[in-house]
Amino acid sequence: MIEFLNGTLTLFGDPTALMLFGLGLIGGMMFGAIPGVNMLTLGAVLLPFTISMEANHAVMLFSVIYCAGVFGGAITAILFNIPGAPENAPTCFDGYPMTVQGRSGKAIGAAVSCSAIGGVASAIVMMAATPLIAGWAVRAFGPQEIFALIVFGLAVSASVGAETLWKGWLSVFAGLLIATIGTDPVGGVPRFNGGSILGFEFSSYYLSAGIHFIPMILGFFAVSEVFVQAMNIAEGKRKRPKANLEFPSLVEFWSVRFTMLRSMFLGFFAGILPGIGATLAAFLGYSQAVRWSKTPERFGKGELAGVVASETANNSATGAAMIPLLALGLPGGALTAMIMGIFQIHGMEPGPLIFINSSDLVWVTFAAMFWANLFIVFLGWLQTKTVVHILNVPFRWLAPGILMLATIGAFALRNLTIDVWVMFLAGAIGFFLRRTGYSAAGIVLGLILGKLGESAFAKSMQLMDYDFFGFFSRPIAGFLLIAALLMVCSSIWSEVRGKELQKALID
Amino acid sequence: MTQSENRSDAGDRTVSIAPLFSKSVLEWLFWLLLAGTAYSLTGNFDTPIAEYEFGASGWPRVLCAALAFGATAQLLYKLTRKTAGTGESEATSQAAAPGLSLRAKLQRFGVFLVPFLYLYVMPEIGFYVATPLFILAILLLLEVRSPRALAGVTLAVYGLVLLIFTRFFYVALPVGRIEAFYDVNNWIIGLVRIGM
Repeated sequence: MIEFLNGTLTLFGDPTALMLFGLGLIGGMMFGAIPGVNMLTLGAVLLPFTISMEANHAVMLFSVIYCAGVFGGAITAILFNIPGAPENAPTCFDGYPMTVQGRSGKAIGAAVSCSAIGGVASAIVMMAATPLIAGWAVRAFGPQEIFALIVFGLAVSASVGAETLWKGWLSVFAGLLIATIGTDPVGGVPRFNGGSILGFEFSSYYLSAGIHFIPMILGFFAVSEVFVQAMNIAEGKRKRPKANLEFPSLVEFWSVRFTMLRSMFLGFFAGILPGIGATLAAFLGYSQAVRWSKTPERFGKGELAGVVASETANNSATGAAMIPLLALGLPGGALTAMIMGIFQIHGMEPGPLIFINSSDLVWVTFAAMFWANLFIVFLGWLQTKTVVHILNVPFRWLAPGILMLATIGAFALRNLTIDVWVMFLAGAIGFFLRRTGYSAAGIVLGLILGKLGESAFAKSMQLMDYDFFGFFSRPIAGFLLIAALLMVCSSIWSEVRGKELQKALID
Repeated sequence: MTQSENRSDAGDRTVSIAPLFSKSVLEWLFWLLLAGTAYSLTGNFDTPIAEYEFGASGWPRVLCAALAFGATAQLLYKLTRKTAGTGESEATSQAAAPGLSLRAKLQRFGVFLVPFLYLYVMPEIGFYVATPLFILAILLLLEVRSPRALAGVTLAVYGLVLLIFTRFFYVALPVGRIEAFYDVNNWIIGLVRIGM
């Protein structure tokens, strides 16, 4: 506690630190909100300048950017169906339908509050138990557990946004198959980059690099939305969503308290595991909210708990991601790797000794992350009061802006026009998926988790000497796989049973 | 049961199962074709990997099989539901397509066509020349007819894109391959970055 107070006093008593704190907060939120130029872009731009900064300031700045950046993408996800970053993709599932229903204020209010709550809770746990948790989590979670966790996540959320269970699973399988395009994670063998289809030969260097999920996300969510609205305009069916500034009430927050707590736990846990991070945290949080809800059929159609789950989980992952970095020197994602770089630039080595050798730095960083998450409430509130009014602008005027943002976002990723082609193709496919009851969310889920899942599976097989039952010799992996199996069986049962009940009722 | 009995039996419940049946089968065929094509392509990289028994093609092949299995399960489920008399909502969604005028159909077609046309010409004439035309085309397709709105929105969106991505973020957008357009694009970039 005393260390935290000292860290806070150092942060707010040092004008340079305070200025960097503010800049990191605003910059992270802004960069998080613009597709294509996320917090990593800001981090990459700022990294060279950290050489001339004090180590305390540099690490603190990047930690604040991390917290604010993860939240920033929620606003565009809710208002325009454009997730600023992959970790905000599940926020679209219910956030945008809420906007269409004229409940944008509630969705943003929930996102702001839950991001802050998740982030603050995560920061508190991070301060209290960094060395203890890091050691346990990294030891207990090997490739087998990560694979089982991914299977479990897919089993729970496969049918989100789909008309039927089968369509949900087919969407997920399609996403997983798309994720195999590129090089294989074990031997680096190029896959699907050439061949012959019905006598037509093709070969593509682009496909060797794989299909990136950012253009796909932008296509499935942002571009397909423009297509849908354009069709509605052509058919004279478009209704303008009402701008709404009403925040969720305390009663509404109380009703999602378990979702919030569960997402906090899941997000924190996913954040600790290297390579998992905020994206999987958000998907896991969302899928578990669906799993435990009494009204799972309402998810994907504007359910407040969906926004709460995703935003609580992704921000909970931020504090947790600092734990393996600081305690073990293991960066879990791209931004924490940049922070690792800052340590190296300044001749420091993260690990258990950092708490003794550089205690000031650690506690200023902890304090900055804690306060950054609290400030998100204030800044998010201000943002809500201003940004929501964009909805009063006719969609006809906004559509070109949305398409331009998406186009540049997809292009800026790798400076390839073909990424923009992929995005527009995904947009067109997404449009037809929506009309046929398949799930764009399922494809994105499969695409994001596919590579990670295959890599974890391959490592598991090598470790277990190709014994499939080896998963069940590890308690956590075994438990997760059995739970996933039960989940799939119960979904099939309820799908079949539900229709029988429906028939009985009709009869 | 004879065909005529079958027909009279079904006639009490539903108008026709043919559209649903054909749609379900078409959907099934689509997934099978996709899985089959992907499976046949896995032969191109079916090379053994040292220390990994399943090779590069193992995982994609399992997914192809899963797709085929899922699609078949879906078809069987739909057909059994159909014969049991509990139709899926797709039948209703299919019937919901209203008759559109030729103008509306062209407008719908244009919404899909214009982005791809934009992408096709962008590498040739450059982002900076193609973009205002694209914005204008999208606005016209979305039935914006007021000249002030057309000019205002085009200028606002184009101006913001130039300011944010070209002036501040230095995003390297395509400048075109045709010489004249290449010069125009670079002139615009120079103009936007004046004073930097």
